[in-house]
Amino acid sequence: MSEITPSLLMLQLVTGIALGTVYALLAIGLSLIFGMLNVVNFAHGAFFMVGAFLGVYFLGLTGNFWLALVIAPLVTGGIGLFAERFLVRPLYGRGIDYPLLLTFGLSYVLIDVVRATFGIEGLPSSTPAALRGAVNLGFGHFPLYRLFLIAATAVVVLALWLFLEKTRYGLIIRAGSRDAEIVRVLGVDITRVWWLVFGLGTAIAGLSGVLAAPTRAVNPEMGIPVLAESFVVTVVGGMGSLPGAVVAGILVGVVFSMTALLAPAYAEMSIFVLMALVLLVRPQGFFGKAGALG
Amino acid sequence: MSQTPFMEVRNLSRHFGLFKALSNVSVSFAPGQLTAIIGPNGAGKSTLFNVLSGALSPTSGQVFFQGQDITDLQPHDYARRGIAKSFQITNVFKQLSVHENVRVAAQMRYARYELFKPRASLRSAIEEADALLARVGLSALRNKTVADLAHGQQRSLEIAMALAADPQLLLMDEPTAGMSPEETASMMGLITQLARERTVILVEHKMKLVMGICERLIVLHHGEFLAQGTADEIRNNAEVRRVYLGQG
Amino acid sequence: MSLENLVNLGARYRVASVLLFLLAFPWLMPYEALAVNILIFGLFAVGFNLVFGYTGMLSFGHASFLGVGSYLTGIAMVHFGLHWLAAIVVGVLASLLAGLVVGYLAIRTRGIYFSMVTLALGQVIYYLFYKAERWTGGENGLRGIKAEVIDLFGFRIDFLNPMTKYYVIWFFVALAMWLVSRILASPFGAVIEAIRENEKRTAACGYDVARAKLLIFVISAGVCGLAGSLRALHLSVVPVDSLHYLQSGQAVMMCLLGGMGTFFGPFVGAGVFLYLEDVVTTLTKYWMGAVGLLFMALVLFFPRGIWGTLVHQLQRRGLLQVERP
Repeated sequence: MSEITPSLLMLQLVTGIALGTVYALLAIGLSLIFGMLNVVNFAHGAFFMVGAFLGVYFLGLTGNFWLALVIAPLVTGGIGLFAERFLVRPLYGRGIDYPLLLTFGLSYVLIDVVRATFGIEGLPSSTPAALRGAVNLGFGHFPLYRLFLIAATAVVVLALWLFLEKTRYGLIIRAGSRDAEIVRVLGVDITRVWWLVFGLGTAIAGLSGVLAAPTRAVNPEMGIPVLAESFVVTVVGGMGSLPGAVVAGILVGVVFSMTALLAPAYAEMSIFVLMALVLLVRPQGFFGKAGALG
Repeated sequence: MSQTPFMEVRNLSRHFGLFKALSNVSVSFAPGQLTAIIGPNGAGKSTLFNVLSGALSPTSGQVFFQGQDITDLQPHDYARRGIAKSFQITNVFKQLSVHENVRVAAQMRYARYELFKPRASLRSAIEEADALLARVGLSALRNKTVADLAHGQQRSLEIAMALAADPQLLLMDEPTAGMSPEETASMMGLITQLARERTVILVEHKMKLVMGICERLIVLHHGEFLAQGTADEIRNNAEVRRVYLGQG
Repeated sequence: MSLENLVNLGARYRVASVLLFLLAFPWLMPYEALAVNILIFGLFAVGFNLVFGYTGMLSFGHASFLGVGSYLTGIAMVHFGLHWLAAIVVGVLASLLAGLVVGYLAIRTRGIYFSMVTLALGQVIYYLFYKAERWTGGENGLRGIKAEVIDLFGFRIDFLNPMTKYYVIWFFVALAMWLVSRILASPFGAVIEAIRENEKRTAACGYDVARAKLLIFVISAGVCGLAGSLRALHLSVVPVDSLHYLQSGQAVMMCLLGGMGTFFGPFVGAGVFLYLEDVVTTLTKYWMGAVGLLFMALVLFFPRGIWGTLVHQLQRRGLLQVERP
């Protein structure tokens, strides 16, 4: 059994943060859709998977990672726009469970479509050439790509924050998530806003898929556990809260990573135990509002 | 007057952020009376009602019922303690039948976790439900789905369901809201009858209605207690006239 | 006897009607193993329907109770050599306990949060069983559950004979269906339906909603656990995927397909789903996609399901007076 040194702990911590940024992005996408449309996207893991596949595919096609990084989320978001317009929208007003059930069915379809398109084995994915190698962090060498993950997420979160806080459209989104009626009265087409937010949320899921692809096996089933994990993050952070998604995402990533080092057999379970504890002590999550559970 | 007030609020305040819906209200209610809480719009009537009925918890202060502190009581304990309310926005079981609505409300006093007896054998709940439907004039609609009922009929159903708990205290929030003149008269008649059997506290903004039938009135203004007394006393109260009519 | 009389008679004595139908069922199916599967998953769906169709709680973790029932029955027989009947009791008790723990944690949340939380808690149980390799066989599942010749009331029964197996399992399903029917017709049954219709109103009537939800959740877990126990005996193995949320999704699908909140609907849903699976998987490898399309079509156009629509139509035309058979 190898020794656990402080530098090993530090490295594992940074690995956890890098993992956490993927979780944070996923949770942000989920929270955006929920906060705005009151819909839990049970296809979120599938969109993550689609993004990963598209990212690898476009990278292979163009040889340019940055191009793939832009195109894949756009295409994923496009699928989301289609899904909202024709599948989810007819269900508004019917009861809160219906959109959830629909997106669950959608996830099955997405998985088999990817199998039919790319095969059941999945695609080989590797770190893009420009981001290979390791960086000396002082306490050890750390993969450059994972540092890039942290940086990329920070950029996306900042961009999103600027969009929501500083732009007119962002204001509409924030207002609409509080009170759709008011926004309607002000003459804004709320249905269009919902449509675009759903697209944005799924695009972010796709983006996290592209970013995560080099760090894991890209196969049609990769999104299945991811769905459960993103639920853990949103329960811990508080559903509908973007700061909660970021903080909880990183926390969950770190918890997983440290448990993987110190008690490997319990790594997958550790994040669910965290969720169970949060449910016992503060069911609305760290940043959630009390009573915002129904 | 008995020493322990039937229902009492002490130093009750309720804030919504910076907005003070209720400020330091202290009021007591005597048993067996028909009391109305009145005041202009925004006076805090609905807020006070919601605190009394347990829908809202106070920011500070306490609520007492028959001498016991019920400030932190669970929602389901109100009916069990004998406090029933009818909601301002009709809140019934829309997809169930009229009879089942009242029956399930009445059933609470007889069986909650009974797993093996068929509910059809609980004759008392069924008969009470039928009696209450007759009282509010809904017997003919017994088997109809509530969603198919007119608004006024749904309000009557609300009352029947509140009575099914056999409450000592009945709280009613704007019971005549949205009713036609005939329905209103009929409702006021029913309330007067009910007030002879139990204690009733109403919230109303139609002054004329309550002046005629209420034994006691409590006037709120801007979330504060303004005055209380009989209809005549309130009519002649200078403060109340100033607030309501801009006179004096 | 007119059709109307027959329909109402059948509906009033719904347990007898369903059980009589299920007695004849194996002859309607192309092969017995399919009939056994439908019987078992029908029971699973009935258990799930208690919380979903009747109480309105969409749990995405009910496969954990199916799995707990299966695994504990298997473990009792394989590792402790218990008699199959005792093993079933162990399986059901374990799933009741699991239902209590999961329910207690999950019922602190409502609506869509509840769905997310039950899914996540179900995954905890999945990983627990996956990792406990010594007991559960891990990835490969639990093997070697021997129930070949069982003795029932002194008769030695060949459990390997598919027809015999079917009727032994039928006996347990019959017991469970009778219990479920009693519970649904009881005062408590009225309370859970009221909760589905309007939670706040139910609390205002004086019912402790959280406690009622927990009770029906535990009962539901027990019924699903029984289905799991029977499945373990039927397959002689317990596949680890029995606990996964995709299996929970299958329960949702069966109830939706058959008819939520009806007594016989879940069986119809299970039957149609498993029969379709049997047929479609010989035609294409994209069964999952087909299921997804079916799911979406049901949600969009046909939320009452097959049996639910039939019942609704009969009631609308005044032919059926009894509620929700």
